[in-house]
Amino acid sequence: MAHSAVGSNEQYNYDIVKKFAIAALIWGVAGMTTGVWIASELTWPFLNFDIANITFGRLRPVHTSGVIFGFGGNALFATSYYVVQRTCQTRLWGGTFWPNFTFWGWNIAILVAGIGYTFGITQGREYAEPEWYVDIAIAIVWVTYFLIFTMTIIRRNQPHIYVANWFYLAFILATALLHIFNNLAMPVSLTGIKSYSLFAGAQDAMTQWWYGHNAVGFFLTAAFLGMMYYFVPKQAGRPVYSYRLSIVHFWALGFMYMWVGTHHLHWTAIPDWTSSLAAAFSILLLMPSWGGMINGIMTLSGAWNKLRTDPIMMFMITALSFYGMSTFEGPMMALKSVNALSHYTDWTVGHVHSGALGWVAMISIASFYHMIPRLWNTTLYSMKLVKIHFFLATIGTLLYITSMWVSGIGQGMQLREFDEFGNLANTFISTVEFMHYPLMARAIGGMFFVAGMLLMVYNVYMTIRSAKQEDQVAATVIAKA
Amino acid sequence: MLKHESIETNAGLLIILTLVAIGIGGLVEIVPLFYIDGTIEKVQTADGKDAVRPYTPLEQRGRDIYIREGCYTCHSQMIRPFRDEALRYGHYSLAAESQYDHPFQWGSMRRGPDLARVGGKYSNGWHVKHLNNPRDVVPTSIMPSYPWLLKNDLAYGDIKDRMIALKKVGVPYSLTQLEYDANVKKFGEEVAKMLDINNADANLLAQAQEKNTDGDPSRVTEMEALVAYLQVLGTMVDFKAHDEHEFIQFR
Amino acid sequence: MAYKDPITGVETTGHVWDDDLQEFNNPLPRWWLWAFYGTVIFALIYWTIYPAWPIGKSYTKGIMNDITYTTRSGEYTTHWNTRALLQKEMVSGEMALIQKKELEKVKGMSYADIAKDADTQAFVQSFGKGIFGDYCAACHQTGGVGVIGAYPNLSDDAWLWGGTTKDIENTIRHGRLGFMPSYKDTLSEEKINEVANYVLSLSGEKSDPVLAAKGKEIFQGNEGGCYACHTTEAKGMKEQGSANLTDQIWTIADVKGVDSAEAKLNAVKSVITNGVTRRMPAWGERLKDTEIKVLTAYISSFGAGQ
Ligand code: HEC
Ligand code: HEC
Ligand code: HEC
Ligand code: HEM
Ligand code: HEM
Ligand SMILES: [Ca+2]
Ligand SMILES: [Ca+2]
Ligand SMILES: [Cu+2]
Repeated sequence: MAHSAVGSNEQYNYDIVKKFAIAALIWGVAGMTTGVWIASELTWPFLNFDIANITFGRLRPVHTSGVIFGFGGNALFATSYYVVQRTCQTRLWGGTFWPNFTFWGWNIAILVAGIGYTFGITQGREYAEPEWYVDIAIAIVWVTYFLIFTMTIIRRNQPHIYVANWFYLAFILATALLHIFNNLAMPVSLTGIKSYSLFAGAQDAMTQWWYGHNAVGFFLTAAFLGMMYYFVPKQAGRPVYSYRLSIVHFWALGFMYMWVGTHHLHWTAIPDWTSSLAAAFSILLLMPSWGGMINGIMTLSGAWNKLRTDPIMMFMITALSFYGMSTFEGPMMALKSVNALSHYTDWTVGHVHSGALGWVAMISIASFYHMIPRLWNTTLYSMKLVKIHFFLATIGTLLYITSMWVSGIGQGMQLREFDEFGNLANTFISTVEFMHYPLMARAIGGMFFVAGMLLMVYNVYMTIRSAKQEDQVAATVIAKA
Repeated sequence: MLKHESIETNAGLLIILTLVAIGIGGLVEIVPLFYIDGTIEKVQTADGKDAVRPYTPLEQRGRDIYIREGCYTCHSQMIRPFRDEALRYGHYSLAAESQYDHPFQWGSMRRGPDLARVGGKYSNGWHVKHLNNPRDVVPTSIMPSYPWLLKNDLAYGDIKDRMIALKKVGVPYSLTQLEYDANVKKFGEEVAKMLDINNADANLLAQAQEKNTDGDPSRVTEMEALVAYLQVLGTMVDFKAHDEHEFIQFR
Repeated sequence: MAYKDPITGVETTGHVWDDDLQEFNNPLPRWWLWAFYGTVIFALIYWTIYPAWPIGKSYTKGIMNDITYTTRSGEYTTHWNTRALLQKEMVSGEMALIQKKELEKVKGMSYADIAKDADTQAFVQSFGKGIFGDYCAACHQTGGVGVIGAYPNLSDDAWLWGGTTKDIENTIRHGRLGFMPSYKDTLSEEKINEVANYVLSLSGEKSDPVLAAKGKEIFQGNEGGCYACHTTEAKGMKEQGSANLTDQIWTIADVKGVDSAEAKLNAVKSVITNGVTRRMPAWGERLKDTEIKVLTAYISSFGAGQ
C-alpha cells in the first residue's frame, strides 16, 4: 500500500466539518418543512392566510434556496472539507479563520436571501433569486471556498488527486462561472435593494437556464457524485469499480452539461437551433450520467450482502438508483416532443424531486450517517432508526414522484386534448380541479420525508450527546490517573 | 489512460482543463444570440414604428410587484406554438415581445394559466376582485389572495432611479432631448412622452388616475400598478396586421 | 502498487487514499460504451435534420426535414422549425380541419337552424364548453349564472343589452360598459330611501307606499332623472344597458338573495348611492366572427334569449 498512512484526527480540521454538517441538517428540516407547507398551500389555499410573507409565490423560493443552497450547499461544504482533507492527508488550508469565514458567509447569505424572499426581495430568476448584494457576498464566499479547496489539494501528501475531488473542484469552478454571469445586474441605487438584470428577453432566458440547468448539473449532480465517490467505497469497504469509467464520465459530464440549458426553453421564443443542441446533448448525457451510477452500484460487487444488513448502504444504493432513474427521465424529457407535454407541468416537479429527494437528499443522508460518528469519534446512536428513516424516505419519495406523474402527465394530456369536433376538450380550471388529490398525495409524501429527517436529527443529536459524555468520562479517567 | 496521470497529479492543469471543458457550451450557445440576425424579430406597425415599446412608469412598477410577489412561480408568460395554446391563450409569443424585460418572466411552471396575452382579456374590475380574493370569481382557484395590494400605496418616489437603471441596461428611456427625439422616431410621439424619465412621476400619476382601477382617484395603489402591467401584456403586437410568414422567417 | 482483489480477481490501479480507498482497473463496461456510441449517432442524425449549429451570422438549418405551409400571402417551404410546424397544423392539421368544417357549417346557418340541428348543437356545446370555460366563465361562471352585483346572469330571461342574437353578438364583439352614476352627492339619504322604496314597489316587493310615492316623483322628475335611462315605465333601455326594474330579476342589487325587507331596501339603496361601473371586455380581437356566432348560440342554449 504505497501512499497510505493512518491520519490521526487531530491532523484534520473537523470543527468546520461539524459546523457545516449541523447547519445542513437544520436547513434540511427547515427547507423541507417549507416544502410541505407550500405543497399544502396548493391543496388548501387558505393556508396562505392572506399573510404576504408566506404566500406561495414568496415561500417557494424559500423552499428551493433552503434545500438546494441551505441543505445541499452545507452538505457539500461539509463533505468536501472532510473528503479533501482525508484524501489529501493534509489539514484544511486557511487556518481556522477562512474556513469559518465560508461557514458564516454562506449561511448568513442564504439566511438574508431567504428572509428577503418573504419580504418580496427577489430578482425573479429561478434559483438565482438573491438580490445583487447577496450575490456579491456569495461570490466572495465562493472564491474563498475555491482557494481553501485548491490550496488544500496543492498541499496534499498524495501524488494523486482522488476522483471525488475532481468532481468537487468542477462543481466549485462551474458554480463560480455560472453565478457570476447569471447575476450580472444593475442596482437601482447602491444603497437600495432592487436591481435589474443586465440581459433581457431571449438572451436573459438563455443565460438564466444555462445557469439553471447547471445549478442542477453541477450543484445537484457533479458535486454529489463527488460525495458518492468517497462515501460509497468507504461504506462498502470496497474499491471503486472502474478508474477508467470515472475518467471518461467525469470529462464527458463536465463538457456536456453546459450545453443542455435550452431544454428548459423548448418551443419558446428562443431560436430552434439552441433547442436542438440542447436536446441532443441531453441524450448524449445519459451514458456519462450513468457512468457515475454504475461506478457506485458496482462498487458493491463482492459486498452485496451489505444491501440487506446495512441501512446506510441501502440509502446509498437507493440514492444511486434514483440518480439513474432521474438521469434517464431527464434526457427523455429533453426531447422536444416529450417536453411539449411535460414542460410547465408537475411532471417536471416530479422529475426534480426524484433527483432532489431520491438522489441529493438520500446520498447526503447516507454520507452523514457515515461521517457524523467519525467526526465525533463515536458510533451511531441507533442503526434501527436509520432503517426506519430509510423506509420513511423511500415511501415519501415514491409517493411524491408517482403523484406528480399522475398530476403532470394528466394535466399535460388534458390541456392538449381535442374532442371529436377539434375543439379544446378541457378548460384550464378543470385541470386545476383534477390535480387536487395528486397534489394532496404529494404533500403527504413530503410529510413522510420530513418525518424521516426529524428522526435523523434525533439520532444525530443522541449520537453527539453520547460522544460528549464519552469524552467526559475519558477526561475524568485521565484526570484521575 | 496513462496520460490522465499527468492531469490528476497536477491541480493547476486539472483546473485549467476543467474550465475549458465547461466553458465551451455556454460560449457557443449564448454568444451567437447577441449577433445572429433575427434572434429578436423586427416587428413594426404600418407607419414604420416599433410595435413593442418599453413599459410606462406605472406598468414597470406593476412589473416590479409581479416579481416581488413571485407570480412567476405559478404563471408563465410564454405561449408556445401549439394549437391548443393558440386556442386557449392566443398567438405564440415572439422574442420581440420580451425584448425590454429585465429580467424575462417566461416562467417554468403553469400552476395557473399563461399570462402572456392576458392584457385586455378581463376588465380592470375583474382583476381587482380576482387579486383580492381569486375564489370570489373562480370558486375552485388555488391562487393566493393579495388583499394588501389594494391597501398599500404605491411607492414611486424612486421611479426615476429605476428607469435610469433600466436605461443603463439598454431600455430606451430618454433623459436628453436627443434621446427623446430618437424615441419619437422609433415609437411615435405619444409613446416617447411616456418614456421620458424627466416626466416619470407625472406620467405615472396621470396613467393611474385615468385608469382609476381601484375607484379612489386620490391615491395610487399597488393594485393599480399591477393591473396596469397585466393589462398591457401581449397587447403590443397587432397580429392581424401581419402575415404569419413574417414571423416564421425568423426561425 | 497494484493489488489483486481476492473476490473479483481484478487489479486495482495501485493508488490508495485515506487508508483504504482504491480503484479497480476495470475497463469501461462494453454495453455502456456501445450505448454511448449509440447516443452519439443519435445526436449526429438529430443535428443533421434539425437546425442546430451556429455558424457566423446564421446556423445550420437541417436537411431532409422541410415543411411546406400556407399563409395569407401564399405557400412557402422552409427548414424544420416550430413556427412553420404550427402554421401547417393550424391550416391543414386533422383537428383544425374538422373544426374548420364545423365552423363553416355554422357560418352558413341561421340561429334557428343551429338550435334545431342536433349535430350542430353538439358542436356548439363542445366549442362553448372549452372557450366559454377559458374566456368567459371567470366572470359569468360555469353555465353563465353570473355573480349578482358583478357579472350578469346569462341564463335568465333578462338582458341588459338586448337578448336578440344580434345584440348578443354585438355585446361579445365590442364589449359593454355598464354605467349608472352615483347619487351620493346628488340625493340626500332620505331621498335615496324614498326612491329605493319606489323601485322595490315596481316589481311588487314590499315597500312603504308613502315613501314610494315620494320616490316616484324623484324617479320620474328631474331631481333623480332615473327615467332618462330606465324609461318612465322603468323597463330599462337596451341601448344603454340599463336594467329593467319591473321584473323579478336583479343583477346588481341582491334583492332575491336576502330575506328581510330592510336588507332588500339596503341593497337597492346601495346601488343608487354608489352607482355602477362595470365592463364587459371586447372579444372581437381574440375571436373570429363565426366563433362569436357559436358562442352566441351557446349562450342562447342556456335556456334564455328572445
Ligand atoms: C399558487 C399559484 C399562484 C400564484 C402564486 C399566483 N397565481 Fe394567478 N392563478 C393561479 C391559478 C390556479 C389560476 C387559475 C384560476 C383563477 O383564475 O384563479 C390563476 C389565474 C390568474 C389570472 C387569470 C388568468 C386567466 O387568463 O384566466 C391572472 C391574471 C393571475 N392569475 C395573475 C396572478 C398574479 C398577478 C399573481 C401574483 C401577484 C398570481 N397570479 C399569483 C395560480 C396562482
Ligand atoms: C371581465 C369580466 C367578463 C368577461 C371575461 C366576460 N364578460 Fe360578459 N359581461 C361582463 C359584464 C360586467 C357584463 C355586464 C355589462 C353591463 O353591466 O352592462 C357582461 C355582459 C355580457 C352579456 C350581456 C348580458 C346582458 O344582460 O345583456 C353577454 C351576452 C356576455 N357578457 C357574454 C360574454 C361572453 C360570451 C364572454 C366570453 C367570450 C364574456 N361575456 C366574458 C363581464 C365579463
Ligand atoms: C345614466 C343612466 C342611468 C341613470 C340616470 C340611472 N340608472 Fe339605474 N341603471 C343604469 C344601468 C346601465 C344599470 C345596469 C347596470 C349594469 O348592469 O351594469 C342600472 C341599474 C339599476 C339598478 C339595479 C337593477 C338590478 O337588476 O340590480 C337599480 C336598482 C337602478 N338602476 C335604479 C336607478 C335609480 C333609482 C335611478 C335614479 C335615482 C337610476 N337607476 C338612474 C343606468 C342608469
Ligand atoms: C442527464 C441528466 C438530466 C437531464 C438531461 C435532465 C433534463 C431535464 C429536463 C428536460 C427538465 C425539464 C425542463 C422543462 O421542461 O422546464 C428538467 C428539469 C429539472 N431537472 Fe433535470 N435532468 C437531468 C437530471 C437531473 C438531476 C439528477 C436532477 C437533480 C436534482 C435534476 C433536477 C432538475 C430540476 C431542479 C429541474 C427543474 C428546473 C425548473 O424548471 O425549475 N435533473 N431536467
Ligand atoms: C419534504 C420534502 C420536500 C417537499 C414536500 C417539497 C415540495 C416542493 C414543492 C411543493 C415545490 C413547488 C412545486 C410547484 O411549483 O408546484 C417544490 C419545488 C422544488 N423543490 Fe422541493 N420539496 C421537498 C424537498 C426538496 C429537496 C430536498 C430539494 C433539493 C435538494 C428540492 C428541490 C426543489 C426544487 C429545485 C424545486 C423547483 C422545481 C421546479 O421549479 O420545477 N425539494 N418542492
Ligand atoms: Ca441573484
Ligand atoms: Ca421551475
Ligand atoms: Cu436541465
